[in-house]
Amino acid sequence: MIDRALDRLARIIELVLALAFILAVVLNFTNVIGRYLFGLSLLGSDEVQVFIMVAMTFLGAVVVTRRNEHLRMDVLAKRAPEGVRLVLRIAEQVLLIVLAAFVLSQSYFYAGQMLRIGRTSDMAGVPMWIPHASVTLGFALMLLIACWRLASIVAGREPERAAPADGKVWE
Amino acid sequence: MMFALVVVPVALLLIGFPIFMVLLAAVTVAIVFFMHVPLVVVHQNLFGSVNATPLLAVPFFIYAGELMGRGSVAQRLVDFVQAGVGSVRGSLGVTAVGTSAIFGAISGASAATVATIGKVMVPAMRRAGYPETFTAGLITAVGAIDVIIPPSIPMIVYGAAAEESVARLYAAGVVPGLMIAVMIAAYVVWRAKREKFGAAEPFDLSRFLHAAGRSIWALGAPVIILGGIYGGVFSPTEAAAVACVYAALVTAFVFRELGVRDIVEAAAATVMFTGQILIIVACAGVFAWLLTVNQVPAAVTAWLQSLHVSAWMLLLAINVLLLAVGCFLDPLSAILLLSPLLVPMVKAVGIDTVHFGIVVTVNLAIGLFHPPFGINIFVAQSVLGLKLETIYRGIIPFVFIYLIALALITYIPEISLIGVRTLLAKG
Repeated sequence: MIDRALDRLARIIELVLALAFILAVVLNFTNVIGRYLFGLSLLGSDEVQVFIMVAMTFLGAVVVTRRNEHLRMDVLAKRAPEGVRLVLRIAEQVLLIVLAAFVLSQSYFYAGQMLRIGRTSDMAGVPMWIPHASVTLGFALMLLIACWRLASIVAGREPERAAPADGKVWE
Repeated sequence: MMFALVVVPVALLLIGFPIFMVLLAAVTVAIVFFMHVPLVVVHQNLFGSVNATPLLAVPFFIYAGELMGRGSVAQRLVDFVQAGVGSVRGSLGVTAVGTSAIFGAISGASAATVATIGKVMVPAMRRAGYPETFTAGLITAVGAIDVIIPPSIPMIVYGAAAEESVARLYAAGVVPGLMIAVMIAAYVVWRAKREKFGAAEPFDLSRFLHAAGRSIWALGAPVIILGGIYGGVFSPTEAAAVACVYAALVTAFVFRELGVRDIVEAAAATVMFTGQILIIVACAGVFAWLLTVNQVPAAVTAWLQSLHVSAWMLLLAINVLLLAVGCFLDPLSAILLLSPLLVPMVKAVGIDTVHFGIVVTVNLAIGLFHPPFGINIFVAQSVLGLKLETIYRGIIPFVFIYLIALALITYIPEISLIGVRTLLAKG
């Protein structure tokens, strides 16, 4: 049930980011057309596009984490005995929990500061806590996923990561 | 500090941990145990590394490539090139090179080219009986041409770091990119003849004309992108967005292959790929900051300067340094990290900074597929389902071809500068 909820969450994040990304493309294209045909440009459009990309980076990484598709150099690890591979899988989740908790704590502090001082972006006037919070939310969700995966591995419910051929990134 | 900067990342890489975690772990260990800086610098650098307008071209060009990959654009380009070179032995390999060069003038993202061209070419080359190691090596290596043939994202970043004109860099990249493509194509033909695979078929003019007609809309994309950039109509990022819209319109309304759902799914795939790549760029940015504040690049630069070397020796040393750095860092981070330090050095010995920009780009392009950590290796492994061991074995000859090209580009500046003069003459 939690697995299904996490899968659904990853899919929702992916689709929301996809629609936001299409908006970024449209904003950029509109700016080009507006500039050449009407001599107009959307102020702050670049900022919004970049903030969408920042969200794609850190929330997109949540989707990648859930699907266990992060890029890695695992030629040696794959050849290790099964027991060693299990230890490595556990160690990886423990390290991700530590790192995500560390970044989360600092990111939460920073995004909170942005909220408190009410800082906005220069052109679009976007409250700066929003793009900064995408880092916070991203690492919070990665922390959650890593905790659940660690519990699943220890309980023997989590199968080993599929071979790359079975886990295609773009399909 | 060496423990944090060297031991931690190397150990975690070797045991197969995700690359973004490797970099983040090194940074965390260094900051928590060895440095006296506010911990919040981690967040600031993670955010700051990707809060950069030039990086927008990355997902835009990936999306353009993804849209074209989902429709039949890549297939039409492949058919066009194949119809032209089919009479050559090893023509499918040559087609992969030619199509990658054309696609390089559309997508600007090397990994996207490996994925898109690979999806079309790998099954075809398998069916035609090409050796798997050869196919894996070729497809993984040709994508690197993409960052040398404009539009090129690393050149944009170098231009910003070295205060050099992106238009001049783009003009300088054309000849080196085409030269590498020709060298790889020549090697493909030689291998095919020696090992007797990839039989030739007679040239058919009507087939060629038919393929040319079918690919005319696809060939329009590089014309619009490069014409727009060289004509001063678009910035490179805008050209990438225009390429997305062009690809969506052509595949949806001209070829009638993609619907709204496909366009959204292509964007979802772009999100996934952006998440994979830019989280590494973000963490590499913090790692680069860590190296800089610990004066590692400055120490390396001082060491190089202390040797009192001539221009050609300096270029050789820089090539070795960049090849080594390119194995561990993505090109954008490497450029951002090293250019401000290296550019004054090369200027001091009279090396043209546009020429140097191409040298840097070719070096780091090699890093994109150089074993063991080249990012395109993992893309080929992930997207194309190729085995890592097969890619490693197949990639070696192509690394040597690129190194020969690098030597030529490094020591014959005219290869780069002739394009600049042509552009200036036109301008």
